[in-house]
Amino acid sequence: MTENEYSLRFLNCELNYLSVTDGSAIFMQGDTAVIAGVYGPVESKLHKMFYNKANVEASFRPMKGPPSVNDRLMESYIKDVCEASLITSLYPASSISVNIQELEDCGGLLASVINASCLALINSGLAMKFIFAAVCCMIDKESENVIIDPNMKQLNNAKAAFTCVFDNLNKDIICCQTSGRFTEKELLKSIEMCRETVQTIFTFYRDIVTKYATAI
Amino acid sequence: MEAKAEKIVMPGDIIKDTQLLNKKQKIILGPGLRTDGETVYACKAGILKHRSNVFYVDNFQKRYIPSQGENVVGIVTQKAGDIYKVDIGASEQASLSYLAFEGSSKKNRPNIQIGDIVYAKLLVASKDMEPEIVCVDSFGKKGKLGVLSTNGMLFTCSLSLVRKILKPNCPLLRLLSDELKYELAVGINGKIWIKSKTSVEDTIAVANAILAAEYTVPSEFPQLCDSIMKSLVKLK
Repeated sequence: MTENEYSLRFLNCELNYLSVTDGSAIFMQGDTAVIAGVYGPVESKLHKMFYNKANVEASFRPMKGPPSVNDRLMESYIKDVCEASLITSLYPASSISVNIQELEDCGGLLASVINASCLALINSGLAMKFIFAAVCCMIDKESENVIIDPNMKQLNNAKAAFTCVFDNLNKDIICCQTSGRFTEKELLKSIEMCRETVQTIFTFYRDIVTKYATAI
Repeated sequence: MEAKAEKIVMPGDIIKDTQLLNKKQKIILGPGLRTDGETVYACKAGILKHRSNVFYVDNFQKRYIPSQGENVVGIVTQKAGDIYKVDIGASEQASLSYLAFEGSSKKNRPNIQIGDIVYAKLLVASKDMEPEIVCVDSFGKKGKLGVLSTNGMLFTCSLSLVRKILKPNCPLLRLLSDELKYELAVGINGKIWIKSKTSVEDTIAVANAILAAEYTVPSEFPQLCDSIMKSLVKLK
């Protein structure tokens, strides 16, 4: 295994990018860029209210046009991951909404969207059990090699693509999205490789928070 | 991941410092920390602070979560029978009884209109209940609390900025008062009301100085005040 295969594309982020939201982040992974904004806890609508926990909502806006069926699926991934990490019982009868706007998709959009929403949640100061980070990987059609964090060009030659989300406690997997045809062995190997890479993103989060916390 | 005091912590980090203290000593966990069994975890991202046996996380936040006994600035949005509804920037509007003013009685109601700004203290603040604010202390005196004059200016900022300028050793407000005459009410909920006795320009200058203080270290406050004063002189 060479060093290159475990490396991610260039990561870049700015926190508190939007003025109106309670927490926001603009996040770039390679050429894939997204903006995430978090509102919450705000007053919940009556029919969506839970008396013992906060209602978490996610909405995803693609670069152009209204959200499609696939975008709705993406929203459900974001919602479930955010709900798992937030301590929703601290904010009963309220609503927390996570809004994502796609700016550019050059591969690994779901991973970037999940990382951006984590940074926005960190910025919002909501209580969380753990933080999460997503890594995208794929299996090449010809060489059958696992490539970590592929770009659009590489993804066109993919036999299968995976996005795995991990927490920072024990690096347990909390969400996994797959596409294409693959064997169980290939999946487990890919997950293991993503797990080894994910520390880079957690270190990146810590660097960003350090940069902002020392400035205020 | 382990963390020590005055270090950056992330949600999910285990805090080991609390174990260093004497077992018999009580440890107080402030905002941003939680316990799970014997272990202490951070649940917010920020700087871990520690003063004798008190531990807390100083983090960036914009949304206010009410907490009992804090002084807040709010806007009256509704009059409903015996109570006023006040927007204090939390997830729910706070209620303010008309009897919670100095010298008020059933016959003698305070004169409060919708849109007025009040400086009040949180009497009840719990996650399951509507927050309740009062404009009197426990002796029935108003002190500094009450309705704020309508010709001031209200603006919103982050909660960490409010905590920064309210620190006892923060020189910003003192430096500004050397140059300008102003009144201000700082709510811990991130709402600040300012009124300058002299002119509107002065009011805006004070507001700009406070907003600019967010990303300025306290040692650079004199330069910040100088530059604000220079631009004010140019304006006049």
